[in-house]
This record gives sequence, structure tokens and C-alpha cells, in this order.
Amino acid sequence: MPLYKSKPGDTRQIKNVSGNEKIKKFLFSLGCSQGEDITLISILAGNYIISVKNIRYAIDKNMAKAIELV
Amino acid sequence: MKIGLAGNPNSGKTTLFNAITGKTEYVGNWAGVTVDKKEANLKREYNKNKITIVDLPGAYSIAPFTNEEAIARDFVLGEKPDAIINIIDASNLERSLFFTTQLLELDIPVVIALNKIDILRKHGESIDLEGLSKDLHCEVVSVVANEGEGLKELLSRSIDSADKKTQASPDFSGKGTEGEDQARQAFVKEIITGTFITKRKANEITFSDKVDRIVASPYLGLPIFALIMWGVYSFSINGLGGFLSGYVNDTLFGVVVPDFLNGFFETIGVNTLLQSLIIDGAIGGVGAVIGFLPLIMVLFFCLALLEDSGYMSRVAVVMDRYFKRIGLSGKSVIPMIVGTGCSIPGVMAARTIEDDNERIVTIMLTPFVPCSAKLPIIALMAVVFFPGQSWVFPSMYLIAGVLIIIGGLLLKKILKFESTSTFILELPEYKIPSLKHAFRQMIKQAKSFIIKASTIILVMNTVVWFMQSYSWNFQLATDQNTSILAIVGGIIAPLLIPIGFAGWQMAAAILTGFVAKENVVATFAIILISSDAAIHSMSGPLTELFTPVTAFAFLVFNLFTPPCFAAIGAMNAELGSKKWIVRAILFQIGVGYTLAMLITQIGTPLIYGHLATGFIPAVVVALFVAGILYYLIKKGERIS
Repeated sequence: MPLYKSKPGDTRQIKNVSGNEKIKKFLFSLGCSQGEDITLISILAGNYIISVKNIRYAIDKNMAKAIELV
Repeated sequence: MKIGLAGNPNSGKTTLFNAITGKTEYVGNWAGVTVDKKEANLKREYNKNKITIVDLPGAYSIAPFTNEEAIARDFVLGEKPDAIINIIDASNLERSLFFTTQLLELDIPVVIALNKIDILRKHGESIDLEGLSKDLHCEVVSVVANEGEGLKELLSRSIDSADKKTQASPDFSGKGTEGEDQARQAFVKEIITGTFITKRKANEITFSDKVDRIVASPYLGLPIFALIMWGVYSFSINGLGGFLSGYVNDTLFGVVVPDFLNGFFETIGVNTLLQSLIIDGAIGGVGAVIGFLPLIMVLFFCLALLEDSGYMSRVAVVMDRYFKRIGLSGKSVIPMIVGTGCSIPGVMAARTIEDDNERIVTIMLTPFVPCSAKLPIIALMAVVFFPGQSWVFPSMYLIAGVLIIIGGLLLKKILKFESTSTFILELPEYKIPSLKHAFRQMIKQAKSFIIKASTIILVMNTVVWFMQSYSWNFQLATDQNTSILAIVGGIIAPLLIPIGFAGWQMAAAILTGFVAKENVVATFAIILISSDAAIHSMSGPLTELFTPVTAFAFLVFNLFTPPCFAAIGAMNAELGSKKWIVRAILFQIGVGYTLAMLITQIGTPLIYGHLATGFIPAVVVALFVAGILYYLIKKGERIS
């Protein structure tokens, strides 16, 4: 299931991240990679507020589509 | 000895840098405040020897994602500092260690500064410093950079480590293989398990999250942002700042100082020409600018509080979907908000944007945001032509917003770029803004404003005073219209006729504005000094040059044509090519000129019932602009 379909409050493991290499590498350096837990905190103004390693990020819908959850 | 400060964005590198060097570099509570490398000497209280501290932009990894991250990498790899202080926000330990393990492999001594340890304790978390130090083979010191806690120990250990000249690499297997990143992350996880104790759950909804749900909500987000900005500006301009500026303008530089100096010069019998240079040129011109110092100080104080709170990143989230429509993303908002202070750091802040097209467009649009140097021009025109009407200031910011949207759409059509970058931004926890920090930023801005007024503006004023007092043959000009200034202004004055500006005075003021925007006000003060009425008065000499409609057009022209030379220089450096800076300047001239022209030529018949000066030339210019736009857009379509 892609991240953008999960519900606020859900914590799941990341299955894989698609997209170009550069962005994948960047997400990896934030800890957004296979096997990591990710929580969708809320959806605000079209952006997805996520928590990875207890740090909050805002990502847009395209990126939320690129993150596939278990 | 050279020590570099490296770490993740918003971990407190610049706060530490300021604390140990005594500098006052720009600090804010969002990721990507520092976009350039900064060097300064370590305070002597820490060490008697000359030690250079280098502050670097934040990075999440040694492999750069954006331009400013590349600066950090190039420094540590290329310039080989004697030691690296790796600053880590203690609450973000696990993410930060990924970069730490990369730094440890460079054979440069690394000392870890665990910053914001007070916040970690508040969360009920703890870190085993000794364990961490043993696992990573480097020194670990806990600090609170903004309180100065632990800095002495950090520096003494860093200097000792630098003397060792070597650094053991972290020992995990899988280096040099395809799975190196994964192996690195597994290694970090192992360390975290043994050293980091947390009670927090990742899915717990915190106070910050609750605030976010209000300030970044789809409906309230934009009104809240507008309300906050309106509050900041009305307090600075109409409130405390405006009150103090009014006093300084009218009483101090209007009466007290000139009267005192006139009396003083007359008693000691100074040459009347010198007296005129000092009182009319220097005091009249610079005074007209210095009067705005209180206003600008209050504005920067408020902006510093806002920047420190953590709200900036949320504005980017709120604005993202609107900016997506013009091919940009929420990341372009931060340069524009920084640009409300000064366009130079604003333009530089665009470095954090990864996509080249988006970065170029952001650089071209950011100078439309009225910077603090443009406020005196607005204030002057508002008080003379629109007394008691509070809509003038907000209207300028509204026009700026509209121009950013229209300009963005036009550039998207002309340049025909596909926006490829995706929006991702770290949201720092909110914090209560520090008054001490805001006060320091305010003093720093006040200092640089006074320096600017007493150097570049003073010199420019002296030149303007000289040019308007003398004619070409270096005789005192009996009639101002034969002065050097009138002739120089007269050369470009015809270009301004379609906007309805008839007279060399406007041209001269606009020209000096490119040196520094405050000069526009100072130049009018000098040119119009011969009149009895003060420049700020409603029946003053400015009303002979402008109608309220052309005054408004003049404001628009000064605000939305290219910024001062210093900001153009910053644009040039960031755009990195002649082709782009020429395009950017032509674009800005086109936008500002066309809008000012439309205001005069449409506003005058609407309000006064007769055509404005230069109507026919204006029609010609309008057709020309429309033709060029049509050509550029068609060309853009052909390319795609």
C-alpha cells in the first residue's frame, strides 16, 4: 500500500521507495528506507506530515505515492 | 589551526559558531538558514592561539542533494580542516549518526557536540555519552549552544584531538560494496540500541503536531499567515516603529539637529557653501533615511521572533500547493520571506532548492518582495499623498504577491520547464522565541543600517548635492534646471514619459535608487530642500511633481523594477551565467515598467477624467510589450 493511502496515526514499515536515484539517496539519508517505521501524522494543505525516527517532515503527494508500505 | 563545524541542517551550527567567535551570523529555526561557508577566529577566552572556525551549511549526508550541501562536502574533502566538530541535535541522534559515520572516515579528527541536550532531558530521554564515544572512537561532549553550556570543554577537547592528526574509521563490514549505505545504517542502529534511551513513541501526537493542524490547515493556513504578517508590519510601521520614526524624522532631523548646526556654523563663521553641503546634503539626505532606523529595528525584531519560533517551515507547507500551480514548490517561499528583510540573503536562500529551473525562477521573483530598504519610499509617498490611509503598505505586499503569481506563470510559459523537483521539508519542533536572540539580530541590523547610511548613502548624497548645486562648467547653478543632476536625469527622463513621469527629478531619484533604495528618499530631500515646506508635508514640494496616481505608479516602479546593485550582484552570483542575469533584469524591468505605466494611464482617466501625460507613447510601449510576450510564449510552445 502506498503511503498516501494510509490513515493519519498509522505506523507501518517501508517496503520500498521508488523514484530517481538522487531523491532515493536523499530519503535514505533521512532514514526513509526499506524496513524503517514511518508514521503518517496528518495530511495538511495537500502535504503529508510524516514521522521517521521521531522527526517530522512534510512531503508532497507525489512523494507520498513513491513510498510503498508493508 | 582550522576547525570546521559540520552536521545536519538546523542542529545549531551557526548558534555554536556565533557563541564561540562572537559573530552575529544569521540564525533561524528551519533547515537551510546557512547557505554559505563562514570563517571567523575563535574567541581568545577559549584558546590563546589563532584558531579559525568555519561554519558550514547543513547536510544530511556527504553526498550532496542541493547546492549548499555541496559546499559543506567540498570544504571537508577539499580544504582538510585540522578537526571537525560534528554538531548533533541530541533529539535527532539516529538520523545524525549516518552523516557522522561518513565524517569519521576522512581521517580528520572528529569531536561530537551533542547539542540541545536540555530539550532531550525535557523529553525524558538520555544518551550514554561514554558508550557512544567508545563505539565511534571519538570524543563526545554535551552542550547547549545558545546558553553557552559545555562550550569550554568542547573546544579544549577539539583542540587536543586536532593535535592527534588522525581519526579511526568506524568498523563495520560492507564498505565499498553496493550495500554500503544499508550496512552503515545497520551499524548506526546497533549503536543507538546500546546508547539511546527513549520513552517517546514515534506515532505520539505532540503539541507541535496539534499546532500544525491549525496553522497549516487547508482553510485557516493562508488567513493565519496573512494575519501574522499584517500584525508584524502594522506594529513596525504604524505602531511602535512608525511612532519612533515619526519623532526622529520630524523633530530630531527636521528641527533640532539643523537648528543646532546652523547656529553653531554661524557662530564660528563657516563658508555658507560648506554649511549647505553639511546641512542640506548630509543631514538632509542621510537624516531622511536614518529617520527610518527605529521602524526597521522594530521590523527586524519581529521577524527574528517569527523565524525563531519554527513557523517558517509551516508557511512553506501552506504555500506549497499554490506555488505548485506556477511550477514552483513550498521551498520557494522561504527565500521570499527572508527577502522581506533584504533581497540578498533572500536570493541566496534559493540554494536550498534542488531543481535548477525552480531555483532560477525563484531568484528572479524574490526581489519583487519589498525589502526593508524600500520601506522609506513607501512611507514617504504614503504620508504625502495618502495621509491617514492605512491601505498603502498592505497594497504593496499584495501587489508583490500578485506579481509573483503572474511572473511565475509567465516564466513557466516562456521557459517551458517541467517541474521535476518534489517537495520535502523538515518540520522543526516549535519553540518559544528567544527575546535575547531577537534583540541581537535587531542590533546587528541597526548597525549595518547605520554603516550603510554613513557610507554608501552619505557618499551618494554628497554626489547628488554636488551635482544639483553645480552646472557643467563647475559654476554654482543659479537655476536647478541647469545643474549637472538635471542634465543627467534629463537623459533618461524621456524613457519615463509613458509612465507619466515628466521631469528630471524622478529620473535622478530612480537612478540613485539603484545604488541603494533608501537613496530615492534622500535624493528627493536634497533636490527639494530649497522649498520652504518639509518634504514629508502634504502640501510639500513633492505634490508639484506627482499626483496621487503617479505617486502610486512611482512607488510601484521603484519597488518592482530590478533591486539595488548589491542585490543584482547576488542574483548574478546565484544564477551563475550572463545569459540568465540579462534575462532576469529584462524581466524585472518589463514587469515593473509595464505595471507602473498601466497604473498611470488607466488610473488618471478613471480618477481625474483626463488622459495622463505620455498616453500615446504608452500605447506604443504597451503594444510593443504585448508583441514581445506573444513572441516569447509562442517560442516557448515551439520548444516543447
